[in-house]
Amino acid sequence: MVTWLSHLVPDQRANRMSTNSAPIRVVLAKIGLDGHDRGIKVVARALRDAGMHVIYAGLWQTPEAVVRTVADEDADWLGLSLLSGAHLTLVPRVLKLLREAGLEDAGVLVGGIIPEGDIPQLLEMGVARVFGPGTALPDIVSFLREHTGARHA
Amino acid sequence: MPERLLEQFRQHDRRALARLLSMAAKGERIETLLTALGPSWHRSLVVAVTGSAGVGKSSLIGRLLAIVRGRGQSVAVLASDPESPLSGGALLGDRFRMPVRADDEGVFIRSLAAKPGHGAVAEHVDAMISLLQAFPFDIILLETVGAGQGDTEVRDLADVVVLLIQPETGDDLQWEKAGLLEVADIVVIHKADLPQAEQTEAQVRSMLTLGGDSSRPVLRVSSKTGEGVEALWEAIASCPRRKQTSTESKGDLLQRAQQALRDRFTRAQAQGDPQVQELLARWREGSLPEGEAIEGLFRLMARR
Repeated sequence: MVTWLSHLVPDQRANRMSTNSAPIRVVLAKIGLDGHDRGIKVVARALRDAGMHVIYAGLWQTPEAVVRTVADEDADWLGLSLLSGAHLTLVPRVLKLLREAGLEDAGVLVGGIIPEGDIPQLLEMGVARVFGPGTALPDIVSFLREHTGARHA
Repeated sequence: MPERLLEQFRQHDRRALARLLSMAAKGERIETLLTALGPSWHRSLVVAVTGSAGVGKSSLIGRLLAIVRGRGQSVAVLASDPESPLSGGALLGDRFRMPVRADDEGVFIRSLAAKPGHGAVAEHVDAMISLLQAFPFDIILLETVGAGQGDTEVRDLADVVVLLIQPETGDDLQWEKAGLLEVADIVVIHKADLPQAEQTEAQVRSMLTLGGDSSRPVLRVSSKTGEGVEALWEAIASCPRRKQTSTESKGDLLQRAQQALRDRFTRAQAQGDPQVQELLARWREGSLPEGEAIEGLFRLMARR
C-alpha cells in the first residue's frame, strides 16, 4: 500500500503541475441507440485519474446535443464511443455540426468497435485518432496531453 | 483577443460566454471585462441547490429546467462536482441528468470541478455568476458538490438556497449537526415517492419549530414522479431574496481582495514570474526587509 502510494502521488502531482491550473476538458459521449457504456466509463475513470476534467454526457445522445455540450463546456476534446456499427453515419454528422458551430479546434476521438477498414475513412473525415479494444489507457492519456492545442500552452 | 470575445459576448454569442467562463474558472482577471460590459442592469434570480451526494440535486435541477423554460424564462446552470485531491482530475456527470433540447438557446449548462477544501462550489463561481447575469439569463441555478458547514459560501452567492434531504438519512440531530437547516431558505424532502418521506418531513418540521421558525417552507418533492416540482418553483419564485446587490456585497470586499491577491500570487509563481522570484529570493536571503517585501509584493500584484 505504501509503495503503491509513494509511487502514485508524486507522479500525479507532477502531472498536475504540467497542466498549469487549467486541466484538459474532455466530453465523453455515446451517440445513437447503443447501450454499451462500460468502455467509455473505463476511459472516463482513466482520464480523471490523469488529472483531466471529464464531462460525462452519457448514453443515447444525439449529434446535436453532443455538439452543444462541447460548445457550452468549452471542451478541448470530444470522445465518442460507438459499438453499434453506426460510426460511418453518426461521426460525420458530429464533425459537420462541430464545423458549423465553429468548434473545429475541439479534437474528436473515436473508440469502441470500429472495423479496421473503416479507420482510414474516419481519420480522413477529421477524427484525430481511433482507439479500439485493447488500447492501453496511458496511450489515450499521453495522446491527449501531446495533442491538446495552443489554448493550454 | 479579449476585445473580440467581449464584442461577441455582447452579441449573445454562447461560445464567447463559454470561453469567458473558462477564463473566469482559471482565475484570470475578468474584472476588467466585466467593468467594460458596464453595470449589469439585469437581475438574475440565483438559486442554489444543495444537499448531500446522491440526494438528487441534478435530477431536480433537470425538472426545474423544464418548468422555467415552460414559463419562457432563460436559465443557466453551474453544476459543481468534486475534484480529486490526488490527481486534480474530475468526473463531471451532472448534465447527464439534465435532459434539455439541443437547440434550446434558453438553456446553458456548465460543469465545474470544485477543489477539495474550497467550499461547496467551484472556485471563482462569483465571477461566473456575474458573466451569466450580464449575458443575460433570467435564472441561474447553482448546484453544489454536497452539503455541510462549507455551505455558508453558497449563502453569500445565492438569492435563495434550497436544501434537499432524502428519507432515511439518519435522525434529526444529523441535520442539526451539519448546520444545514440554518442555511436553507426552503427545505425539500426529496424522493418523496419513498415510503419514509412523511416521517422525514415531520422530523424536519419539528426541528424548525424547535428553533422558533415555523414559517420556512418544507416541501415534499419527487423528481421521479414530478410530484411537488411545480409547488417548489412557486416557493422559490416567491421567496424573499437574500442577496440585495448582485454578488458584490460590501461586507466581504476584503475577503474578495485577499482571494484576488492570493490567486494572482499563485499564478505569478506558477508562471515563474521573474520579478516575483527575485523579490522572494532577496527576502529569503535577508537583503530585503519583510515590510518592504510585502509592499513590493502588493505593488507587483497590482499590475498582474
